[in-house]
Amino acid sequence: MKILASCKISDQGIYLNGEVQQKYTKETDNWKKDVYSKMKLDYPKFYKMDALAKMAFLGFELMESVSSFEHFEDNDVALLFANRNSSYDTDLRFIESYTEKGSPGPSLFVYTLPNILTGELAIRKKWFGENIFFIQENFDPEFFIDQINFYFRKGSKACLCGWVDSANDKEECFLFVVEKTDGEITAEELKKYYKQ
Amino acid sequence: MGRKAKLANIVSELYLSYGGLITPLGDTATENFENMRLGKSGVHKVSGSGFNKEDWPLGKINSLTSENRYTELLEKICEALIENVGIEILSADRTLIIISSTKADITALPSDTFASTREILKNKWNPAHAPLIISNACISGVMAINTAADYINGDKYDTVVTIGIDALSDFIVYGFQSLFALSDQSSKPFDKNRTGISIGEAAGAIVISNKKPENGAFCVNYLGGSSSNDANHISGPSRTGEGLFRSINKTAERSSINIQDIDFISAHGTGTMYNDEMESIAFDRLSLNSVPVNSLKGYFGHTLGAAGIIEVISTMLMIEHGLLLKSPGFEEQGTTKKMNVLSENVEKEVQLALKTASGFGGGNASLILKKSL
Repeated sequence: MKILASCKISDQGIYLNGEVQQKYTKETDNWKKDVYSKMKLDYPKFYKMDALAKMAFLGFELMESVSSFEHFEDNDVALLFANRNSSYDTDLRFIESYTEKGSPGPSLFVYTLPNILTGELAIRKKWFGENIFFIQENFDPEFFIDQINFYFRKGSKACLCGWVDSANDKEECFLFVVEKTDGEITAEELKKYYKQ
Repeated sequence: MGRKAKLANIVSELYLSYGGLITPLGDTATENFENMRLGKSGVHKVSGSGFNKEDWPLGKINSLTSENRYTELLEKICEALIENVGIEILSADRTLIIISSTKADITALPSDTFASTREILKNKWNPAHAPLIISNACISGVMAINTAADYINGDKYDTVVTIGIDALSDFIVYGFQSLFALSDQSSKPFDKNRTGISIGEAAGAIVISNKKPENGAFCVNYLGGSSSNDANHISGPSRTGEGLFRSINKTAERSSINIQDIDFISAHGTGTMYNDEMESIAFDRLSLNSVPVNSLKGYFGHTLGAAGIIEVISTMLMIEHGLLLKSPGFEEQGTTKKMNVLSENVEKEVQLALKTASGFGGGNASLILKKSL
């Protein structure tokens, strides 16, 4: 297997394939909208997404701006995702809608599941492959390598993997695409990209 | 290379047995099956449960008495596992625990909603490995079993114990109410007059192993499973059933079976217009129209992250007893494609059973069980 692309978004900035980005930064509270505008994307669904889905969407679009995934067919790509805090921010906003703002908000409720973001990515790419979302205490590269191996063995040709978390004003998004080829990737390699 | 390739293709024979079932219909698998056989429903109107104090029908477990329904339910299913499976297997180095839950301890917010899950398992039997948690909406339970099989086939563990659990909360009831998705009577999956979902709560535990249970407990074979996204809408079912269609095809291929040999389907069947219609279209595209099918949501309500697990346990019980349970609430065909929905209990020896699930985020998952020889 080999890593085709990676994207890391954290307080340190936005990194694409290990390179810090000057054009796309994370300096303002509105950084998601800024990156969306700078990338000249035209995808109105973006505005409806919650913070978690927006982050995953942008991370993926950034990877796609430098790598092509067009050679994969619609069943080929498995989406393997995890985070620590599930849909924490949106959960709190949904609770607020019925405890303080008058009535439970349906547009918030539908985002109170972490795997909605994998749905958004599948819709964007029209990818019908396997999807799974785990809750873990920390990003665990060995765990992802095991999962990738499972899905390759079951027939997936690539895995879009992600650790996308948002809670208490701490946002983190690490995405990488792995293609099935001879050879292995190591936990150290993933750790290196993750730590940026 | 040669040796590695060979190893990678080894797929163990896998056995599923049940380790506990706590639902609105009872605290054990036996009690649940007896009540289902008698046609009892665990879904009843709960006074003032709605956001505007409506009396929504819900699958509420009346024996839960403490402030925190989730942690009490988790404690109980853990105790059932200790009794039915034993500490030795649960805490073994070659055993992994997988939890399937959508909201876990949602009342813990703003603290970590999954912290109490890890804490309780640690206190109960201190598992050798941190539990793996799957939170993938309503397909979590089926995915937990499929993931368990991955770990055993990958020779990482010999035994994986999957626990599916979700408890009732204002959060969930108000949420589905806000989507206008709740039914004002107990849900009627696949029926012409269905109007929506009844939410429920439950916990169930399944043991997946590369060996038959040593205590002689009833078991079935797991043949294969898969998931597939609809790539259509985050909360609306696909009009063509594409994801479910693809998942069932993939599962049948992995299981090395002919789809036409499936002789029972435990469907998802939530009772909403669009979901049930979507399922009927997917089954029709696979020419499964005449295969006996039920939805168990009328017995327990829709128990979200627990649903896949408790419905697989119920399917195992049906195989064990040679009795297919009726689909509660179903009277008259209410899907555009013909389905053989069970309106009465039917005695039948099942050889191959298909379990399906579909959920928010466009997820679909399926697996195939075979009666053990």
